[in-house]
Amino acid sequence: MRNIYVFGNEYIEQDSLAKRLASCIGTRLNIVYCTSPEQILDSEEKEILMLDVVKNIRKPIIIKDASQIKSSKMISLHDFDLGFFLNLMKAMGIKKKIKIIGIPPKGNISEIAKEVQQWI
Amino acid sequence: MSKSITLNHITKIEGHAKLVLGIKHGKVTRCELSAVEGSRYFEGLVRGRRFNEAHEITSRICGICSCAHVIAAISAVEDALGYRPTEQTETLRILLTLGERIRSHATHLYFLALPDYLGYESALAMASKFKPQLHNALNLMKTGNFIIKAIGGRDLHPVSATVGGWLKLPKKDDILQIKKMLIAVKKDAVKTCSLFSKLKYPNFKSSTECFSLVDKNGYAVLSGEFTSEKSSFRKNQYKDFVKEYHQPRSTSNFVVKEDHAYMVGALSRINNNHGKLSKDAGKILRSLKLELPSKNPFHNILAQAIEMVHCIDEAIKICSELKISNEQVERLELKKGNGVGVIEVPRGTLWHEYTINDNGIITNANIITPTAQNLLNIQEDIRAFVPFVIKKGKKSITLDVEKLIRSYDPCFSCSAHFLEVNWA
Repeated sequence: MRNIYVFGNEYIEQDSLAKRLASCIGTRLNIVYCTSPEQILDSEEKEILMLDVVKNIRKPIIIKDASQIKSSKMISLHDFDLGFFLNLMKAMGIKKKIKIIGIPPKGNISEIAKEVQQWI
Repeated sequence: MSKSITLNHITKIEGHAKLVLGIKHGKVTRCELSAVEGSRYFEGLVRGRRFNEAHEITSRICGICSCAHVIAAISAVEDALGYRPTEQTETLRILLTLGERIRSHATHLYFLALPDYLGYESALAMASKFKPQLHNALNLMKTGNFIIKAIGGRDLHPVSATVGGWLKLPKKDDILQIKKMLIAVKKDAVKTCSLFSKLKYPNFKSSTECFSLVDKNGYAVLSGEFTSEKSSFRKNQYKDFVKEYHQPRSTSNFVVKEDHAYMVGALSRINNNHGKLSKDAGKILRSLKLELPSKNPFHNILAQAIEMVHCIDEAIKICSELKISNEQVERLELKKGNGVGVIEVPRGTLWHEYTINDNGIITNANIITPTAQNLLNIQEDIRAFVPFVIKKGKKSITLDVEKLIRSYDPCFSCSAHFLEVNWA
């Protein structure tokens, strides 16, 4: 069964939707809830499938290139986020395809789930 | 000629700090380091809560060292209730703490400290040229994370450790897997020592006193006396020696030992415990021909690298000897008391103290983080160090001072306290 790596923080409303959505997107995927981005290093798949909340979007989007993600310069360990980590992997030449299903911070879960299904 | 340097946001450290530096006629006229984090109120938050909630609440002080706060809080509460944990409980707490130290040191060394020495703005900028080194870092971090998750139940804010024991014990397979990963990653820790031993550290000697726990039974983690080259005292005496005070400019307390600044952290631990390092960590230390005790704060990162080898060796030893028995959490008899928990964590010595009433309610709390203890020392080091680099341009002085601050691996988020108010 294919893994989907799910990011977010269930205690912060604007960052919780990916974790809430994960359980609604079917049983064909093994859901891996991530608390730290380096967990994706365990992925043995050629393409790493991820689900995360993206700021300032209203509809789900697909991101296939880490350079599309704004990443910080890492001024503290708290900046060790998914964007930083994917860009680091790219800079280090870790050749793995990525597919991030980006969802808006809020919206109707069942409608978002329907739209997301096409990319799974 | 006068110079004034104000760093409103010092980068590549945890949290927010500010430095105001004034230089006139080749002399430092003003040097003020402040934590500018918002107040945290954690000591207030635990007041009125039950004794077995302190570790869950204070864990949230920091995501980077949440295990540290969990174990320090539990130790303090158990001390207040007069309970001594079983050997297995204590050993698992040490293993959790070692895992966190491996993760924290690896991240700090490679992602925050190393770019300065290699002339890069960030780890991302150096990634294409230093791939093997960053692979080492990721392997070490992953191992630390695995230990924390397997022992603590989660890789952040662990949930398995509690007052009186462990809510969930690791399985035999978890311990075997940890051991396997540690054996595999040890070479990366050794390479880290080699890399950091080749860096050029400024030749600076602080006049500080280096404190850490010292335990006759080994390289202190969860027990021992708070010791320097000059003095030593037991944990329950700490208020006789260690004083906290506020500065209006800073949300973090400043801490002194008998009115003097002191240093805690990896360098202090190595200075005070070098004879108790693991065989391989000791061998690496001796090969560096470092004069001990070293009072050069820039050596703190080198000490962190050596500690990683030691932590891996210690954790392997624990995994080899550990036979998990199905111990239940001890139900502790409630009684009023006061207890202190003091442990060694990635950035230095961490203190938790709780007063509990007959009903098990916390009536008072005090937490002193490593960064709060180091804050005045960092400021005094900056004041003493700047004259050595004073002829350089403003940009170079700033970078050198930032390197000095970062060498302490400070965490200003954790050090921020609330200000006490005397109501009229």
